[in-house]
Amino acid sequence: MSEPLQSAVYDVVDAYEANELFQRNGWTDGLPVVPPTEDLVRRFLEAAGLEAAAVVGVEPVRRRRITAEKVAIAAVMAGCRPEYMPVVTALVRAVCAPEYNLHGCTASTGGSAPFVVVNGPVRTAIGMNATHNALANGSRANATIGRSLRLLIINVLGGVPGRLDRSTLGHPGKFTFCVAEDEEDSPWPPLAAERGVPPGESAVTVLAAESPHQIMNEWTRDPREILETYAAAIRANMLTYSIWAGNYALVMAKQQRDTIAGAGWSKGDVRECVFERARVKRGDWRTVGKGAIAGRKDEGTVHTALRSPDDLLLVAAGGPAGGFGVVVPPWYGAKSVAVTETIRGG
Amino acid sequence: MMVLDPRLEAEGEAMAMAPPLRALEGITIGFIDNAKIGTADFYDHVERILRSRFGVREFIRRRKPDSSRPAPPEMLGELSAADAVLSAIGD
Repeated sequence: MSEPLQSAVYDVVDAYEANELFQRNGWTDGLPVVPPTEDLVRRFLEAAGLEAAAVVGVEPVRRRRITAEKVAIAAVMAGCRPEYMPVVTALVRAVCAPEYNLHGCTASTGGSAPFVVVNGPVRTAIGMNATHNALANGSRANATIGRSLRLLIINVLGGVPGRLDRSTLGHPGKFTFCVAEDEEDSPWPPLAAERGVPPGESAVTVLAAESPHQIMNEWTRDPREILETYAAAIRANMLTYSIWAGNYALVMAKQQRDTIAGAGWSKGDVRECVFERARVKRGDWRTVGKGAIAGRKDEGTVHTALRSPDDLLLVAAGGPAGGFGVVVPPWYGAKSVAVTETIRGG
Repeated sequence: MMVLDPRLEAEGEAMAMAPPLRALEGITIGFIDNAKIGTADFYDHVERILRSRFGVREFIRRRKPDSSRPAPPEMLGELSAADAVLSAIGD
């Protein structure tokens, strides 16, 4: 006989009324949820091999101990299948790492969202999408894994808009922002491998991120020219949003990947090039209407977008056609840094 | 149908508001500065009002080392000498 669950229970007549209850109490992101019944929650816990009371992670600032029971409830609500649970629990461990600064990036007026990259065999096992429409709708797993984390932030951490979540605007990625890397069709090593995860293992990498910005350059075969377009988007972000250096993610679709790799460039070469080109002078703030702040310090000071080339997360994903890619900027320089966690089980 | 509560209850003793101050005259007020660019000017203004119109005697002003992280315990310890503490943001 398993231990009783700790959560309070509510009696409702049907799924519709369960949704009305959750909407009325602000327990959802505004979209409908799958009602979290004890039977479903226990199936999810079993799939993850976790006891209900097991602590998956502890949010370091407010010391909220996030139990497997609450993670399973969020995953059920989000529309996950039980086999997604190991990915969701790895994600919770990742955002509880002190360097992720979950409290800060949740509470900030800057309005970031966790950008999640999944690597390894789990992607194909649970049917994640890494090709057409990679950053948007197209796969239940992508959509619901990312959403699980949002529902946890709302219900477990109190990240309710206007309360702990003080985002001025936020962005659509706060509903869900989860991508799988297209490892099978990439000429480069996967992100997780570059971050120390052994081959054959699955992992999540999460970054507190602002909204993605799409770029296009399909009129050259010169890697430097393609990357100059990305660097220009990053420079624009540095000037118009935040100048501080941190992790930027580039999601690059197949056409540009093949062009760049075909010219003999590795991921490391891409990182070096972007590190060199994505930089601005403080005085450049004057060109975007920020003259009032530019002169407070030396306007000749050079700011790089990345603290070092390794700050760049290069992710292969997207449909096969089109010279497109996306820049995903950090929330606030290196106040939160990307964290990678191995997925256990599943 | 029985559904489970998704929320995590806070652990430990619930925090309560301190009793209201009887008067501001002659007291000490602490300011936590969130280290944003406008906070010092804002608190200068508040301090002038509290001093001239309400007779607040003393201020303990501390600036957080990092705007995106909580005030360190030693800073909270220094501020605990005040009769009341204000926390404001100056984005």
